[in-house]
Amino acid sequence: MAPRLRTPATLLAALLLSACTAAVEASASPTATHVPSEVATPSVQPSPEPAYPRSLTDDAGREVTLAADPQRIVSLAPSNTEIVCALGACDQIVGVNDFRDGLPDDVLAALEDVPDVATFTGVDREAVVAAEPDLVLAAGNELTPSADIEALAELGLPVLVLYPETLDEIYADIRLVGEALDETEAAEALVAAITADVAEVRDRVSDLPAPRTFYEVGLFEGEIYTAGEDSFLASLIELAGGEPITGDALTTAISAEELVVADPEIILLGDAAYDPTITPESVGARPGWEGLTAVREGRVFPMPDDLLITRPGPRIAQGLEALARAIHPEAFE
Amino acid sequence: MRAAATTPALVGRLPNGPTLTRAALVLGVGLGVLLAVLLLAVAAGSVGVGPGDTAAILGRRLLALPIPETWAPATETIIFELRLPRVLTAMLVGGALAMAGAAFQAVFRNPLADPYIIGTAAGASLGAVIGIVLPVLLPALALGAGTSLLGIGLVQVLAFAGGLGTVLLVYAVARSGGRVPVVTLLLTGYAVSSVLAAAVALLMFSSGRALAAVFSWLMGSLADASWPELAFAAPLVAASLALLVVRWRGLNLLLLGDAAAGNLGLDVEREKLVLTMLATLATSAAVAVSGTIGFVGLVVPHLLRLAIGPDHRLLLPASLLFGAALLALADLGARLIGGVPVGVVTALIGAPFFLWLLRRSRAAAPVLSA
Repeated sequence: MAPRLRTPATLLAALLLSACTAAVEASASPTATHVPSEVATPSVQPSPEPAYPRSLTDDAGREVTLAADPQRIVSLAPSNTEIVCALGACDQIVGVNDFRDGLPDDVLAALEDVPDVATFTGVDREAVVAAEPDLVLAAGNELTPSADIEALAELGLPVLVLYPETLDEIYADIRLVGEALDETEAAEALVAAITADVAEVRDRVSDLPAPRTFYEVGLFEGEIYTAGEDSFLASLIELAGGEPITGDALTTAISAEELVVADPEIILLGDAAYDPTITPESVGARPGWEGLTAVREGRVFPMPDDLLITRPGPRIAQGLEALARAIHPEAFE
Repeated sequence: MRAAATTPALVGRLPNGPTLTRAALVLGVGLGVLLAVLLLAVAAGSVGVGPGDTAAILGRRLLALPIPETWAPATETIIFELRLPRVLTAMLVGGALAMAGAAFQAVFRNPLADPYIIGTAAGASLGAVIGIVLPVLLPALALGAGTSLLGIGLVQVLAFAGGLGTVLLVYAVARSGGRVPVVTLLLTGYAVSSVLAAAVALLMFSSGRALAAVFSWLMGSLADASWPELAFAAPLVAASLALLVVRWRGLNLLLLGDAAAGNLGLDVEREKLVLTMLATLATSAAVAVSGTIGFVGLVVPHLLRLAIGPDHRLLLPASLLFGAALLALADLGARLIGGVPVGVVTALIGAPFFLWLLRRSRAAAPVLSA
């Protein structure tokens, strides 16, 4: 029951925050006095949604029908797992992706005995079926291979594909999962909380000059990977008060030459979170990099919170804050 | 008889042929092994299902036996919808590749010939990679991964067409004056394959997130096996293999060399074309549902020649049975290791085993100098 206990606390915090920023969400926010009663007696509050079966449209445009309130959830991506747990349904998860790095401690504890049913390269379909889920949450853009999504759907499992590419889409996905799990109030509260946190960060940095910011996602075989053009990461950097230097929209790669021309004023090393050999010093020693403004002025920083920044989940506001603190430390003094 | 002199071991047994009891023994053992592998491969997997439940589910679904359902519905789904089509696809593909390999080795009288030798693999790969990458590159086409023609995926259709089309192209290019010299055919196949491989590399470079799917296909994987795909490939493979088996005499004669075979009344050019196309048809259908799985088509015929001799009357059906069993076993290994592409397993375990067998049977080594 430990994960269940998080719900009231999360809700309360969220509602307090949303009350503080009533101006932002004035039309949507209920009044502060009448909100706690909703939290205390959620079962009394009639659900605005029609009862099950319930039809939902996922991020891949697929229509998925849930016959009943899901009790056994398989989550094929860590971001989905975080959303489910933030909505207080951690104890309904019966299968997860084996990549558990960076999950919050309480989530990790709640999932200790839950089997891995997927890896980075694919889904163990047998294991998913054996978990007897009544809801499968997949990730889009081949993070969950589309062949696996099709195969599971073909077997009659309700598969919701989540692939948020903007903050608004993260909110929409939280609401979608909330609808699927009949936790719409918890979803609204969570979205309100994230919105408030995001607004706070944005207010701190929005009037500051935006330095040209290069976020290094990874370095493989001489290819430099960064935020793709128009990508979620690029929009997050913008929100954090930086001017993102972007790579190819599809491959997210940028050539060393393009990087030199773009001349970043700040370099953030997301890959330093996983590879201890990537440091501000090693980056300065790369051929051609010593002339970059960021290197000359000593504004190259490792980003240990890379997972928070790149994972489109309920802790995205924390990721945004980590970015903003790196780009505008002066705004957080 | 110059050609015959260079292939003593291959032709050594031709005049007599296998006796009926010997053939029955070989094929009986092969069938027994295949059945055992079928049960083993369906019973074992990442989720434990008891052999009793496995047999009961198969009996109920395949033989319509009145067995009461004492297992969870999920168990039946795993056995009947996930494992059985996958194991049967592995068998179909393994059998097709081994038999096509045996045919190609005879047609080209080349021990290095495998089912992919004149472009099938490169053509099928290009087709499949186009099928995988197109939806990523041109989302406007709205060719979701779910796009299918007659229940078969775009990837499978393009792979099949690519494999078959490439061999037709290679044959047309290599043809001069009504003849298709083997050396010209092999070199043409190599050159065309190189061009297609470059196109595949180009597409992979711009495949973005689909790269993992492309890679998995190129390594050969049976993870996407399903009943509809099996229903697509099985009739094509079955028909072409049946037509190959009945042409065993032509294959045996070709082992003597083109000149000798011609002197014995064989229309060598026509026979080669027919045999090549039949083997290519089986290979393309197999590759379409499995990706390019290496090693099976090259080695199974060699192993069997070491064991039972080169007569195609026996070699072809034996290749079918043992190739099927081998690939189903390799795929079981791939599943148990944790979903690695089966092509990795066939090469990693199969090739050293083949080397060991080769060293053990030095006496039979001349077979390979065909």
